[in-house]
Amino acid sequence: MATGAAEFKQEMPPPGGYKPIHYQRIPARQYFNGWTLFGGYVVMTAGAAYLYYLNCKVVQQEEIELRSASFAIYPMLLAEKDRAFLKQLRKNRDEETKLMANVEGWKTGTWYGEPIYNTMPKDKLLIPRAQEYYVHASFKDFTTRAYISLLS
Amino acid sequence: MGSGITEDVILPTDEELTVQEVPLSGPALKAGAFHLGKACEFENNEFVLCREELKDPRACLNEGKALTSCALNFFRSVKKTCAGEFTQYVHCLDKSSPDQQFTPCRKTQAVFDKCMKDNLGIDRPPYDYFARAHVHKTERPRPPVEGPAVYEDATPGLPPDAPKPPAKYGNRYIWSW
Repeated sequence: MATGAAEFKQEMPPPGGYKPIHYQRIPARQYFNGWTLFGGYVVMTAGAAYLYYLNCKVVQQEEIELRSASFAIYPMLLAEKDRAFLKQLRKNRDEETKLMANVEGWKTGTWYGEPIYNTMPKDKLLIPRAQEYYVHASFKDFTTRAYISLLS
Repeated sequence: MGSGITEDVILPTDEELTVQEVPLSGPALKAGAFHLGKACEFENNEFVLCREELKDPRACLNEGKALTSCALNFFRSVKKTCAGEFTQYVHCLDKSSPDQQFTPCRKTQAVFDKCMKDNLGIDRPPYDYFARAHVHKTERPRPPVEGPAVYEDATPGLPPDAPKPPAKYGNRYIWSW
């Protein structure tokens, strides 16, 4: 310890003094100026829009094709459905007649002889509501049909 | 109850309504849709026009039966000539996507199309053929058009030669300039 005191040396600035302190901002190197950025944005967006357009066209074509196929088989399915529907209407009417046979003054398809519409031709077929169509079926069958869109 | 189907409503009997239906499932119908639509184009249009014009399922039973028999005959002929190709295409449609997309099945479709073209001479129509509007010529007479209702006790209007002097106090519409 004693020797340390003898060799004491005061630290001093380097000869010529310290370097000046850098306090000025050093901006990052600019690759593009503002106008180039605008131009780049426009070019990029235009290119993306063109690709989007191409994609849209394909998607639309697929949709139209599916719809077209549905339209092609729709008449056949409709014809089949019509026949099943009319069969069921007859069944419903027979069922109602059988069910209400013992009720005094009941007339099938009316409320004790009072029709729904007075000015309608007698032979006019009114498409019944789903609830009426399924009125003699079980409730489960009705819900299965009514909520079929939730199942698929 | 009281659905409005009275005894006066003429419903066809079960014998009239029972014909052989097309016993095919959804993917098969979809696979054959384009060729079926082309092969039975007249029957399709006839039936749908009848249904849309008369709006009564009872009035178009014969057109519907003709259509169903046409479709049956079409699928019978497909079964006779292109059964393998058709089944392959149906399987592809059924298994490749949840909603029977056509896009994943272009290869099997091309095989099926070629068979149909070679054996039955039916081309696949353009992809949007059945989504277009078509003109259909039919023998069935046009149903009478119901005009506007005429009421006996309606308020009589002005006679056609009634004088119409200019408005006394100018324009009656405030916001019309």
